[in-house]
Amino acid sequence: MLAWQLLWRNWRSGELKLLAVALVLAVTVVSAIALFTDRLEGTLLEQSNSLLGADRLIKSNQPHQPAWEATAEAEGVAHTRVAHFASMVYAGDEMHLAAVKVVAENYPLRGYIDVSNTPFATDTSLIERAQGVPAAGEVWVDSRLLPLLNIELGDALQVGEQTLQASKVIISEPDASGPFSMMGARIILNWQDLAQTRVIQPGSRVEYQWLLAGDNADVASLMTWLEPRLSDHDEVMDIENAQRRLQGTLQTGRQFLVLAAIMGVLLAGVAIALAARQFAERHVNQVALLKSLGASSQRIRRLYCLQLLMLAGIASMIGLALGVSLQALIAQAVLSLYQIPMAAAGATPYILSLLSGPLALVGFALPSLWFLPGVPPIKVLRQELVLDKSAMGWQIGMASLVLVILVGVFGRDLLLGFTVLAALAVVGVLTAAMALALLTMGKKAGAQAGSRWRLALASIQRRRGASVLQVVVFATAIMLLLTLTIVRTSLIEEWQVKVPADAPNHFLINIAPSEVADFKQLLMDDNLRVEPLYPMVRGRLTHIDGEPKPDDTLDREASLTWTDQLADDNEIVAGKWWNEWSGADGELPGVSVEQEVAQRLGIELGSRLTFSIGGLIAEAQVASFRTLEWESLRPNFYFIFEPGALSDYSPMYMTSVYLPSEKKRFINTLLTRYPTIVVLELDRIINQIRDIVAQVSDGVGMVLVMVLLGGCLVLIAAVTGSIEARKQEAGLLRALGAPRRLLVGSIWIEFALLGFCAGLIAVLAAEALLLGLQVFVFEIPVQPHYIYWLLTPVLSAFFVSSLGALSCRQSVTTPPATVLREAL
Amino acid sequence: MATMIQAKALGKTVTTTSGDLTILTDINLTVAKGESLAITGASGSGKSTLLGLLAGLDVPSTGSVALAGIDLNTLDEEGRAKVRADHVGFVFQSFQLLPGLTALENVMLPLELRGDRNVREQAAQYLNRVGLGERLSHYPPQLSGGEQQRVAIARAFACKPDILFADEPTGNLDSTTGHTINDLLFELNAEMGTTLVLITHEDRLANRCARQVQLAAGELMICGSAAVQ
Repeated sequence: MLAWQLLWRNWRSGELKLLAVALVLAVTVVSAIALFTDRLEGTLLEQSNSLLGADRLIKSNQPHQPAWEATAEAEGVAHTRVAHFASMVYAGDEMHLAAVKVVAENYPLRGYIDVSNTPFATDTSLIERAQGVPAAGEVWVDSRLLPLLNIELGDALQVGEQTLQASKVIISEPDASGPFSMMGARIILNWQDLAQTRVIQPGSRVEYQWLLAGDNADVASLMTWLEPRLSDHDEVMDIENAQRRLQGTLQTGRQFLVLAAIMGVLLAGVAIALAARQFAERHVNQVALLKSLGASSQRIRRLYCLQLLMLAGIASMIGLALGVSLQALIAQAVLSLYQIPMAAAGATPYILSLLSGPLALVGFALPSLWFLPGVPPIKVLRQELVLDKSAMGWQIGMASLVLVILVGVFGRDLLLGFTVLAALAVVGVLTAAMALALLTMGKKAGAQAGSRWRLALASIQRRRGASVLQVVVFATAIMLLLTLTIVRTSLIEEWQVKVPADAPNHFLINIAPSEVADFKQLLMDDNLRVEPLYPMVRGRLTHIDGEPKPDDTLDREASLTWTDQLADDNEIVAGKWWNEWSGADGELPGVSVEQEVAQRLGIELGSRLTFSIGGLIAEAQVASFRTLEWESLRPNFYFIFEPGALSDYSPMYMTSVYLPSEKKRFINTLLTRYPTIVVLELDRIINQIRDIVAQVSDGVGMVLVMVLLGGCLVLIAAVTGSIEARKQEAGLLRALGAPRRLLVGSIWIEFALLGFCAGLIAVLAAEALLLGLQVFVFEIPVQPHYIYWLLTPVLSAFFVSSLGALSCRQSVTTPPATVLREAL
Repeated sequence: MATMIQAKALGKTVTTTSGDLTILTDINLTVAKGESLAITGASGSGKSTLLGLLAGLDVPSTGSVALAGIDLNTLDEEGRAKVRADHVGFVFQSFQLLPGLTALENVMLPLELRGDRNVREQAAQYLNRVGLGERLSHYPPQLSGGEQQRVAIARAFACKPDILFADEPTGNLDSTTGHTINDLLFELNAEMGTTLVLITHEDRLANRCARQVQLAAGELMICGSAAVQ
């Protein structure tokens, strides 16, 4: 109870405010980032799963066993069914081979179907999120089907023997690139209409899917039960085999957020340590007095620990509330910008946030306060007594330990944590040495300077220890901010490089050789960039060097092509490209194989590969291995043959094209002219990736703001420590007749000098830290950032001097009489 | 009369950069219950050091101190703290009020540490007694020096100590205010029958004590009436 009263009195007297604010900030940073990352991960997973429409999917050429449904329900796993097939649809005299998706209630279990009443709508105000599935008797259709059948929304079309009304156009759907989607325009109809269409007959090619979604554990448990019951026709699909690349993006984003969190916590930690130091200094007399009044060391330790624990508790609650609100704001922004509702966070980030307050206090504040109970009571009589407060080793040790715990538990990334800590240790020592050297140079300069400068330099020299500490602290704060800004920019740029804004976003397949010339002309007429056209035949690899190929890899038809131009994103890693290749033994044509698939299949340079192409046998010898970037979204092939090698196998051509959203109608023109061409709309996938990158960037932006706040707090904490002494000096100088502008000017100069030194050191240190991060953690190319070399010291001088002058304004505005009276 | 303070062969030596420095040598002193003793001496004569040793705030290099019959040498810091809590009150030259606490809270503090009940009422009563009944919620910086020392006196007497140590209680005050404060100190001392050990360099103040001793270069000289043993 006494501890509570002391806490309240200390709070009222303002001695705890800085410490409390720093603590709240630390918890806010941890909770906002922990919650945001957790939700982001959940969302990305859900989004990835929305590509499937479910968490797991069992596909088969047979409907699933109805008996399985009871087990799914018992496990608490949601389920629904889908059937895919291709069928002609008719309207009057027009007909089209459509990719039909038949959906039951609750589809999709993950993700959404976006629909519109306006064909080819791109404006978000015209697009709505479908509530449920098409009603019985209705059908939702791809926009491009309308011109193909020469109908409008509201008109009827016929699927098999059933007449359905086209009620909406589909803008986006989960599993858009699913089975049969290459066949033609998509239509979605209700399961209840399926029987009446009479399309499915014995022997029809149908893919049935049973979709499942639920908690990870529930789904896993159901799958364990299900697996022994699956037949050879059933295949389980989950997101891991579908979406590896999203995981990569997510991992880098996560690492960045964790890095930002470490830096945020570290900055808040520095502020906490500084605030605790000031608190301790102010409380030396209080402790001595309490001891003279009969309080024992143990009692004092207990009283202070209790106060700090209560403070940590309150700060954690406030920090958590702030963190929750902050990340909710971002989630709201994500929702309104990208129409993506974020997943709910689990319990872990909440627990972690609540623990981070006490942890930060133990790690950053306790070492500064540890000596307090040991203050001898004689200090009340002998103010001049020097106390042993040597807690530096303690401070660094405890702070590092807490950081390691936080990084370990929270970041799940110890390498990143240790890289940052090691870099910071080196930077700390170097910074202190440089700051000392710079300040010593300043001393010499000060002797010849004008009065304002002399005063400023004298002030820096007088508080030499504090000045070095301030420069170190500012430099560390600026360095962390700088590192974060640069890493963020590099990361986003890297992502953008991977998916350039004008990356081809439509694949056009099935172009007949006779149509190639006209097709190119059509693109040029519409001012569209013409990408290379690849001839393509479908073939199955059957033998390697005469031996049947392993069963488990590439057990399907692959697209085979030939070209003499190596695409930009392909690289030969072994063997030779055609221009250097001298030909094969026995006059077999050459083939270049993608490196990973070659490894999996055990193919070597010179291996003889046998392909079955439409029942005909083709042989080739491996001339080279290639790496390629699947992420480039350009046509990519496992097998590229020597030019002309497959010309006897009636190839069809394929290419990719970039269609800006306003030119989306070009598909219409194209399909009207060449109905057999198949269009694969990648723009939806690209947009999805963009959205995810944008979400991560937003989160990162928010974190940067908080880290910046941490930096300001450190600065204020550092300045507040010297306020009392400054007040006295200013009071004395003013009593001696110094004009106010002289004092104000000298304060500006003092902090500008400190800021400039800090900025200069920070930019050097940031480059060093970035080097480590880029090489060991993010694997981003290293490059110097010249613009920051110029800007950082100047901006830092301006910023630090403004904040310093603001913090010190009290020292020059307090009337000298008051100051001198208080000093008595 | 019972002995309240007994110092035997007390000495204090501190280590400095230029070697050992002896501050006090062979001090023998007995103070009876209810007695008032003034310790005088020039600046640097070791007065405050002696007060610190007698009150158990510091430990002697040689000799021993017994307070209220308890030998402080046998106690550790925790034990000495308990003796201070049970028997000792202080009035300091620099008042030693906590600036963030109101006058009332400053007086409440030792009572709260002791775990007393009705601390608010008790503290208010003592502040009334020293004439600050109207200024309970004022903070030390809002009070004059004399008023601050009154708060300190109220705090010292609120615990009803057996022994009161006063270190230059008027050293920071002008002579008129100092005079009033001294009156108050002696009045309360008489009222409560407290044993008083007063450090001062003012002869006038020293003369108000029943007995005086003088420190010179760390050694005790007898002066005034009396029973130095």
